[in-house]
Amino acid sequence: MRRRSLCGIFLAAALSLVWGCAGMDYASIATIAVKTTAKAAEASRPISDSEEYYIGRAVAARVLGTNRLVQDPQLIAYVNEVGETVARKSPRPNTYKGYHFAVLDTDVPNAFACPGGIIFVTKGLVLMCGNEDELAAVLAHEVGHVANKDGINSISKARWTQVLTTLGTETAKQYAGAGGQIISLFEGSIDDVFKTIVVNGYSRSAEEAADAEAVATLRKAGYDPGALSALLTKMMAKQGAGSSGIFKTHPPTSERLAKLKSIAPATETPSKLEAVRTKRFKSVKI
Amino acid sequence: MKVPAWWIKSRGWLLLLVLAALLCSPALAGAETMKVSQANQSLLSEPNFSGTPIAPVPTGAEVTVVTTSGDWLKVEYQGNTGWMHRGAFAQAETPKINPLGMLFGGGVQQTKSDEVALAGKGFTPEVEASYRQKHPEMNFALVDQVEGFKVDSAKLQTFIKDGGLNP
Repeated sequence: MRRRSLCGIFLAAALSLVWGCAGMDYASIATIAVKTTAKAAEASRPISDSEEYYIGRAVAARVLGTNRLVQDPQLIAYVNEVGETVARKSPRPNTYKGYHFAVLDTDVPNAFACPGGIIFVTKGLVLMCGNEDELAAVLAHEVGHVANKDGINSISKARWTQVLTTLGTETAKQYAGAGGQIISLFEGSIDDVFKTIVVNGYSRSAEEAADAEAVATLRKAGYDPGALSALLTKMMAKQGAGSSGIFKTHPPTSERLAKLKSIAPATETPSKLEAVRTKRFKSVKI
Repeated sequence: MKVPAWWIKSRGWLLLLVLAALLCSPALAGAETMKVSQANQSLLSEPNFSGTPIAPVPTGAEVTVVTTSGDWLKVEYQGNTGWMHRGAFAQAETPKINPLGMLFGGGVQQTKSDEVALAGKGFTPEVEASYRQKHPEMNFALVDQVEGFKVDSAKLQTFIKDGGLNP
């Protein structure tokens, strides 16, 4: 009798092991319990790289809901080559799904960095750049915003705290197949980022930090570090043309230009290789 | 020495128990290799995207997994060891061996618990899917197109060299 009991125990243990590995329902329930406990412990965690990516995708989708993309493969390839060259030398050379650069088909000069690494530059701003180094300066500045997580940081702290609070209970709701408050919090986060990067612009300190990152990145990449101040000077001259687009989101103030010139004065005589770069910039049809 | 009769009767079950335990052990799978599916990847010095790039890893390269830490994998590639994010690999590459499927046939039913794990992470593909349903005016098709804009590593090297830039 005792031996039969032992056999029964071994059989039960074997089946438990197999069922445990196969992820039966009770294992899932245990997983939920463990995860819910973990959520309570990580109540103050920052936004993860993958969450940043999904927010960035939604912000980009909103931008592309009202803007057309330039579809010229030569221009797309060129902008991505310049962008990738500077991204590699930035303080954040890699993101969750990498950097991707695209040109918006509008004459209004502007550029946006979506969280996670999708970066838009308008046709109008590419046309305002006189050479490859100035285009690199624009893209390095936007990569600087991604590296500094300026877009993600514009999500209100109260909203993110609410996300974390909701997650513990949301896990159970998702398991039951219901939607949840997390969707509306995601929606609110997209609004926060969109309003900052497209409508109101970043704070002055965030702009100046991205400028400094851009100068350091240009220098490391081998581009003219003075290209950003050269472009900013050009923008200031055209500021009277309007107060929308880049003039609103990235205002070219005299203080900003003075700070830039102190770390990287504009180059007066381009090097031989800069001339090569300018030639290939001009060969791309915009 | 006389072998107890209960041992003779139950040894089949014991063998099954040992076999199941061995097949469930990750060690049996040996060194796992994974194929890189994302462009412009590098081995990083630390398990985060701010880590210093050690060496580039091209799309299609097969790396050997040394260990894992959350979403990060410590891998070996061409004599270098460094960290790569799980997102650099195709999702289908992860489960190489399914010992339970070999034993009992059929897939291991983990989909639902995987979804729960994703939901627990916060903003996930499932959250995006619900958002997309609610906002058909958002153009995710163009976002997918933009994510398809990739620079070939060899072409980028030529571009950098021709422009007198730093690799």
